[in-house]
Amino acid sequence: MPAQEEIFAKVQEALVDALGVEEDEVTPEAKLQGDLDAESIDFLDIVFRLEKAFNIKIERGELFPEDILTNTDYVADGKLTDEGFAKLKERMPFANLDAFEDNPVVQNLGKQLTVQDMCNFVEHKLG
Amino acid sequence: MRWFWVDRFTEYVAGVRATAEKGVSLSDDFIHDHWEGYPVMPNTLIAEGMAQTSGLLVSELYGFQELVVLAKFTKLEFDGLVLPGQQLTYKAQIGHRKEVGAQASVTATVDGRRQAAAEIFFARLQNDSGPESGLPDRLFDPDDLCHWLHITGVFRVGKREDGSPMKPADYGLPVYG
Amino acid sequence: MRFWLLDAIEEVVPGERLVAVKNVSYSEEYLQDHFPEFPVLPGVFMLEAATQAAAWLLRLSDPQAPAVIALKEAKNVKYGGFVSPGQSLRIEVSLIKHEDGLAAFKASGTIGEKSSLSGRLVLECYNLADTDPAMADADERLRGYFKRWLPAILKPQLLA
Repeated sequence: MPAQEEIFAKVQEALVDALGVEEDEVTPEAKLQGDLDAESIDFLDIVFRLEKAFNIKIERGELFPEDILTNTDYVADGKLTDEGFAKLKERMPFANLDAFEDNPVVQNLGKQLTVQDMCNFVEHKLG
Repeated sequence: MRWFWVDRFTEYVAGVRATAEKGVSLSDDFIHDHWEGYPVMPNTLIAEGMAQTSGLLVSELYGFQELVVLAKFTKLEFDGLVLPGQQLTYKAQIGHRKEVGAQASVTATVDGRRQAAAEIFFARLQNDSGPESGLPDRLFDPDDLCHWLHITGVFRVGKREDGSPMKPADYGLPVYG
Repeated sequence: MRFWLLDAIEEVVPGERLVAVKNVSYSEEYLQDHFPEFPVLPGVFMLEAATQAAAWLLRLSDPQAPAVIALKEAKNVKYGGFVSPGQSLRIEVSLIKHEDGLAAFKASGTIGEKSSLSGRLVLECYNLADTDPAMADADERLRGYFKRWLPAILKPQLLA
């Protein structure tokens, strides 16, 4: 398995190419949506690049489990229920969801995803 | 001005790659505005030529039946300007594809010299939410689509990967005569 | 058709930003092909509108601006929504960097609150005479052309 630095470098390159941002903007703490302006079409672009860079296959909903966020069994008043949150944690073991857990408004999940979360995702896939 | 930015396909391998030509001419009326005193092909219309060359490949992946639209230029680069009398050659190659869309890489050359390059994303839209989505059921009437594919030579040079020719009937398009 | 992809320049802060609008109308001929069953402003025309807005910002910021200002590069150009006849696309460009004949911009196109276009552009600025002194008259013709047409799209109160 490649070292963490190597994973970060490749993720950084994928984000620079897919989002047209400068290398120095892509820090581990940078938020994909908030800081780097990533939108849903970009996630597809990023996924293609990660698949190529790491020779992995990423299924729909794996990086970002939209299905949970739109499932009425798990969402009440725009927030994820406890059960839904448990499910999300199971699907996203790579992400730091602490901040999200305090106020699990469905729409905020994407906004909180960071570059580090994405590196963790790759590491998780390779592991 | 009409919206045909590819004159003729010279190669079309379904699902893989295509080559197309576009001649730039002073008889194109828009060119006199871009610009008066120094008419050149607008770079954004070269981008459209690249998008049409690759878009017709991507659209074929879904049998020419679906709503395939330009979603993103990941990258567009231009090396100078193209003048009337020159001929652009577009070469498109299909890249990644998923159920929600596909990606393509395209170059534009004049006399073998690189003039532009693009990485393009096409989205495959689903009109599953009815009229409120604002989306139509289709982009083209089958007659219009068939007409476009015929006049640009897709059915003259078009082949599948196994070498067999593409035919309008394979796509449920009208067959004339 | 004319190749003016902006109908009006509404705000200009020289060296910083420019806001302009492009109205889409059924009278525009290309809509019959794009698409026959779904007439919408082609994505590359949103990009052309942004390119023209960026070029006007440079010309309005510097009376000595080079004659040729053309799109050199575009990155992460995204289309968020369609623009239909009857709608008016608001284009905003802001200058990020300008050096060595290259000007970088952030561009956006919106209908109300909704984004139809976003991306980053780089424009290349030069005089034709820089590489071929015999082209000096073409540079002058280009300058004269832009000067002549500017009043058509610039709001009178901005035409100081």
